Amino acid sequence: MSKNKKIFFQIVLMFALLGFTGILINNLIINLTRTDIGFKFNWLIKPASFSLAEHSLPYSPSDSYAWALFIGWINSLKVIISSLILATCIGTLIGFLRVGKNSFFRITTAGFITIVRQTPLLIQLMCWYFVGFLSIRNNTFLNIRNILNISNKGIEFFGLYLSSEFSALLLGLSIFSSAFIAEVIRGGIQSVPLGQWEAYRSLGISEKQGFFKIIIPQALPAFIPGLTSQYLNLAKNSTLAIAVGYSDIYAINDTIINQTGRAIECFIILLFSFLILNLLITKVMGIIDKSIMRSRI
Amino acid sequence: MNNLNSNLNTNLFKKLKRFLLSKSKYNFLNFICFVISISLTFNFLTWIFKSNWKVVTSNLNLYAFGSFPINEQWRPLFWFFILLSITLITIYGPKWNWLRKNLLFGWIGTVPLGIYLLNGGFGLDTVMTRNWGGLTLTILITSCSILFSLPIGILLALCRRSSIFLIQKLSSFYIDVMRAVPLIAVLFFGQLLIPLFLPVGIEIDRVWRAIIAFTLFVSAYIAEDIRGGLQSIPKNQIEAAKSLGLNKFQINIFILIPQALRVALPAITNQLIGLFQNTSLMSILGLMELLGVSRSILANPEFIGQYIEVYIWLASVYWLFCTTMALVSKKLEQKMTINKGF
Amino acid sequence: MKPILIAKNLTKSYAKGIFALNNVSFELDQGKVLVVMGPSGSGKSTLIRTINGLETFDKGELNILGIKIGSDNDERKIQKIRRRVGMVFQQFNLFPHLTILENITLAPIQVQKRQQKEAEEYGMYLLSQMGIESHSKKYPSQLSGGEQQRVAIARSLALKPELLLFDEPTSALDPERINEVLDEMRRLADQGMTMIVVTHEIKFAKEVSDQVLFIDSGKIIEISSPDVFFSNASHERSRKFLNQIN
Repeated sequence: MSKNKKIFFQIVLMFALLGFTGILINNLIINLTRTDIGFKFNWLIKPASFSLAEHSLPYSPSDSYAWALFIGWINSLKVIISSLILATCIGTLIGFLRVGKNSFFRITTAGFITIVRQTPLLIQLMCWYFVGFLSIRNNTFLNIRNILNISNKGIEFFGLYLSSEFSALLLGLSIFSSAFIAEVIRGGIQSVPLGQWEAYRSLGISEKQGFFKIIIPQALPAFIPGLTSQYLNLAKNSTLAIAVGYSDIYAINDTIINQTGRAIECFIILLFSFLILNLLITKVMGIIDKSIMRSRI
Repeated sequence: MNNLNSNLNTNLFKKLKRFLLSKSKYNFLNFICFVISISLTFNFLTWIFKSNWKVVTSNLNLYAFGSFPINEQWRPLFWFFILLSITLITIYGPKWNWLRKNLLFGWIGTVPLGIYLLNGGFGLDTVMTRNWGGLTLTILITSCSILFSLPIGILLALCRRSSIFLIQKLSSFYIDVMRAVPLIAVLFFGQLLIPLFLPVGIEIDRVWRAIIAFTLFVSAYIAEDIRGGLQSIPKNQIEAAKSLGLNKFQINIFILIPQALRVALPAITNQLIGLFQNTSLMSILGLMELLGVSRSILANPEFIGQYIEVYIWLASVYWLFCTTMALVSKKLEQKMTINKGF
Repeated sequence: MKPILIAKNLTKSYAKGIFALNNVSFELDQGKVLVVMGPSGSGKSTLIRTINGLETFDKGELNILGIKIGSDNDERKIQKIRRRVGMVFQQFNLFPHLTILENITLAPIQVQKRQQKEAEEYGMYLLSQMGIESHSKKYPSQLSGGEQQRVAIARSLALKPELLLFDEPTSALDPERINEVLDEMRRLADQGMTMIVVTHEIKFAKEVSDQVLFIDSGKIIEISSPDVFFSNASHERSRKFLNQIN
């Protein structure tokens, strides 16, 4: 296409799009005035008047909606970071076992991966919550000298108390993501050319040393993009918290919409909270990627 | 005799000793793990046989069809049968060329057929969407969303590579925003916001709103997978096509898209498996698909607290379907790879 | 006779002072075979790709089959030229997802809007001319390099071109496969096809070509008949090049 044609086409397209969005916005305005809602954000400073079971910062129902949303965002961040760490540990271990020499572990990890990947996360979460925590008989599952205490109220470890909602979400998310991370790890290790394994073997380097000193450093850069996308997925999946009653950012948005009916404003707020979360994850992973690249030169 | 016996004994002892000790600690570890897993499997099996599966067996109808009218249930059943046979033909069917070429149209055709069978009209009694449910609804939402999101995904991927500034920016913006938002939010706001953008008097019911939301969401992901496929095609393919006088449109249709789809097939399959699993999120929003029906069964006083049985049953159903989808895609991929050796 | 191709002062530079093509002018008559030679990076590939519109140029003018293109690169004119000029690549560039016959019939059906049956018949005729009609239902990856390159030649012939361009057609082949492709090209030359061939095959150039064009650093060093070029090259650089590849 020639340049003039392109510009002409873009102008036509722009007018078509403007017309289309115009119709949509017109409909929206008609619908909003009909239901007498409108589009504003001043409700954010009004008191929320609902209580939150879990808050890392001081919160009471008389605090504003904005503050409640922030608490929810912090709650999201808390569960995302902790399950991100746990999932990485489990996933790396499973990924190593999956490519290892031990046939027993190879088969069991393959079974684990297919079961976890081919069933919905939501069902896994509900399983952890309703079966794992809420139906613990005699209300206590495990109690080791009051250091580790697992009951239907959650997990208590050295005075650190995790509610049953948080624990179910943490376990469910970590186990689910670990299966995907294991596949990333496996793919990364298998991306190292076979000649590298033959090379260290021919030099008489032991299997263990060769694996950790020769293979893993070369596989590291291949891990990063896969891990980043899994972490982003994990962050998005954390919104299923609403199924187990954990008050994350999405659950609080949901409550607010039920109270105030402000769907569009809440959608925009949610969008921005997730843009910030995604940006955080990609930035941190970018820094890690850069430091790996730098250490290789 | 005595001598022989003692010889045998020492031999056995030696063997056991060698097994447990000499061949390093790994064999021993293996042995322990093996014993543990055998006992776990055994425990699990005895639990399965011991526990009461009435919560599953007496509600099979509900799991499959939801509250679909009983004397019309042959309709979804017939649809399942068609789907099953076309799946079997795809995996194990004969390799006739005309069959392979028309199989795609067969798959596409199952979707309108399913909608017709469920919805009724043209000789069949109409069944309202609120009566659709169970596995039927899960499969319907999945198949409709797949059918709509694949072409939209391809189009978005092409737009994102377009040389026209506005088109490229707009599709990039759409894809990036959709990929940043959690699915549950898209579904929830799809239910709330779609009616707000429609003119007064036009309404779309909940099932179709869900399908629209799924389509909007999944097509962004598929677009990225296809874009990856497009990028993997060597530049000289385009040059060869250009030198034959093909125009841009023809190059896209005949050269780029088929090859990109082949490369992106595993990734797209994963998206579609994810889509099938994620239809369960609609239960949070009150739709009576497979998980939604199960939750209402669990709320029935007769079956209260039987979470484990229901969840294990559900997990196996989902697992079976997802594994079948993965198998179909793998078969397709193998056929392409063997024939065409990409 | 009227020349089929006239290149006038073609110039293309990547950066200041680095020329891919430097004031290149030459003519080619109908039915003649022009062999382009030169060291790697000399611009011979760029030259042949320019003729098919795969590369643009900054200055000068090309007149191919009466169609003039300048440095403005009018897409429509280039498209017209491509329909009448065939091209064979070093890496064959067959379409891996199409069968051999589909590779050949794609352009006649889509570009020239011919009937499928007619295109397939002509495609089978071309394949049988090359002795590979038994492969017509196979996919490119199932063929050897030499067979793939012959399919690529058949693919460009399917459009009944008036000029054929060969960009190092034998460079990616195993040595024992080179001759089957060269024989095919020789046959085409005998039939009176106008061709431009970038190649290092001296024997082919000596026997088949009517003219040899030697290019270095984007500049034409000399154009002469093969007898003169190979026995008595007028330029120091041409002689040096011939010594190196002999």
